[in-house]
Amino acid sequence: MSAVRVWSKPARVVLVVAGVGLGACVLAFLGALFLHVAPANSLSKEYRTQVDRLVYPEFEQNWKLFAPDPLQRNVAVDARVQSIGPDGTVVTGDWHGLSAEDWAAIRHDPAPSHRDQNLLRRAWDFYESTHGEGDARAVPGSRGQLAERYLERIALQRIVSAGGRVIQVQLRVTVTAVAPPAWSREQVDTAPHVRELPWWPVQPEDGKGLS
Amino acid sequence: MTAPAPAPAPADVRSVLPRLLTTLAPYQAAVVRIGTAGTWGAYLLREWGNRRVLYGDRSPWSAELNDRLLADTHAFTALSWSDGRWWFEAVYLLALLSAGAVALGWRTRASTVLFALTVLSLQNRNVFLGDGGDNLVHLMAIYLVFTRCGAVWSLDARRRARRPGRDPAEWGEPRALADALAAMLHNCAMLVIAVQVVLVYATAGWYKVQGSRWQDGTAVFYPLQLDYFTPWPELSGLLGGSLLVTFVLTYGTVVMQVGFPFSLAARRLKNVLLAVMVVEHLAIALLLGLPFFSLAMVSADAVFLPTAFLLAVQGRAAGWWAARRAGRTAGETAGETARPVDAEVEPVGGADG
Repeated sequence: MSAVRVWSKPARVVLVVAGVGLGACVLAFLGALFLHVAPANSLSKEYRTQVDRLVYPEFEQNWKLFAPDPLQRNVAVDARVQSIGPDGTVVTGDWHGLSAEDWAAIRHDPAPSHRDQNLLRRAWDFYESTHGEGDARAVPGSRGQLAERYLERIALQRIVSAGGRVIQVQLRVTVTAVAPPAWSREQVDTAPHVRELPWWPVQPEDGKGLS
Repeated sequence: MTAPAPAPAPADVRSVLPRLLTTLAPYQAAVVRIGTAGTWGAYLLREWGNRRVLYGDRSPWSAELNDRLLADTHAFTALSWSDGRWWFEAVYLLALLSAGAVALGWRTRASTVLFALTVLSLQNRNVFLGDGGDNLVHLMAIYLVFTRCGAVWSLDARRRARRPGRDPAEWGEPRALADALAAMLHNCAMLVIAVQVVLVYATAGWYKVQGSRWQDGTAVFYPLQLDYFTPWPELSGLLGGSLLVTFVLTYGTVVMQVGFPFSLAARRLKNVLLAVMVVEHLAIALLLGLPFFSLAMVSADAVFLPTAFLLAVQGRAAGWWAARRAGRTAGETAGETARPVDAEVEPVGGADG
C-alpha cells in the first residue's frame, strides 16, 4: 500500500474506536497473563478472580521449565493385581514395573511417545498433588478420586491378568534420589524409598474400554 | 520483529499510525504458522499408533472421568460430544488434515480456526498428557486464528499472485476499512504472540534464579539423570560428567532466559541470543528426548527472527527451486535460472487470509 488513503469521517471513527478497543483488550489480556505468571503479589491477589477467569481453562501458562529447581529424583511406579478364579481361589500377581516399561520404551527413541514419557508420570504427579500426607483414599467426587481411578485404570490396562477376574489392584512407588555429580562433594542419600499404597477394590466396569 | 521504530516525534505519529493499519511482520507470522502446525502435525503422525490410548476410546483417562473434570474446568473439547470410536477417529483425522492445511497455508483463516478447535479438542480430552510444548501449541493455535499468517509463504499467497485482484488503492471505502480492521487485529495478535514468548522466557528464567541448583551450577546435571528424560544415557552421562560444561550450560541458560526480554531493545544481541536459543533447543530435543517440545519453542521464538534473514531464506529457497526446475528442463529455459520470486511475495495487505 503506497499512497496513504484518506478516510472519511465515519471511517475514522470506526478505526479509532476499533483501535482503542483492541488496544484495551490486548493490554488487559497481557496484563492478566503477566499477573498469572508473576509470583503472588498484592495486585494479583486483588484481581485473582478476574485473572483466573481469563486464564483458565484455555490460556494456562506452565513455564517454570525445570524451575525453581529441576527434579532430582527418579520415581518408579509398580503395580500388581489380585484376581479370583472360578473356583474362588484368590491369587496375588507379581509386581509389574510400569515406569520401568516406560523407560525401556524411551531408551534410544529419538522421539519418545507421550504414552511412555508423560502418561503415567503425569498421572502420578496428579495423584501426588491431590493426596497430601499418606495415601488415604480421597473423598468421593474430589479430584483425588479422579486421580485414583486414573492410576487404577492405567495399571489395569497394562497388566494382563493371569486368569480369573481382577478384584483388587495395588500400587507401589519407589523414590530414588539422583546421586550428585561425581565431582561434587555433596552427600545425598540415594537409597531407594519404597512406599506401598493400599489395595484398591476393582469393579468389573472399572476396566471398561481399556482394550 | 521488523525494523525498530525510530522514537516518534509528534509529526511522525501521523506517519506511523497508518502503518498500524497494514499487515506487519507477515514473514514472522508465516514462520510461526508453519512451525506450530508442522510441529503438531508431526506429533500427531508420531502418535498415530497410540492415538486411541492417548485421546480416544481406549484411554485410561476415560470419557467419564474427563466429563467430571470438564464440569469443573469448562474447557472445550469436541470429543466430549460423543464417546464413540468413529467420532474420535474423525476428529483425529481432521486434526491432522487441518495441521497440514495450516502449514501449507491453504484457506488459511478457515484452516486456523479448525486447527485451533482440533488442538483444543485433543489436548482437553486429557490434560494430564501434555508438556510445555503442548501448552505452547495450544496457545499459538488460538492466537494464529487472529493473524493473517497466510499473507506470504502459503498456497493462498500463490493463488492471489496468480490471479491478482483489484489494486488496493482502487478499493471502495468499506472494503478498505474491513481490510484495515483485519490488519489491526493481526497486528494485535502478533503483539500477543511476541509478548507470550517473552513471558515464557521471563518466567522460566526468573524462577530459575531462585533455585539452589541453578545457583550452585549443577542444575543441568539432574534432568540428564532422570530415567524419563534420558533416551541416550551414555550421551547424557558424558555431558553431565564435566563440571565445566555443566556449570557453563547452567549459568548460560539462566542468563539467556532472564536476559532475552531485555535484549529485544538491542537488535544484534537479540539475534545472537535467538541463535543460541535455537541451538539449546536442538540439544534439548536430542538429549532429553523432547523433539516436539523443542520444535514448538523454536517455532514460537521465530516471531523474533529478523525480516532480512527470512527474506534471505526465501531468496535461497527460490534460487534453489528455480535451479532445480531449470536443471530438469535443461536447455529450453536458459535465461530463467535465478529469477527472483517477488511475484510470490505480494500482496501482503490482501483482503482475506
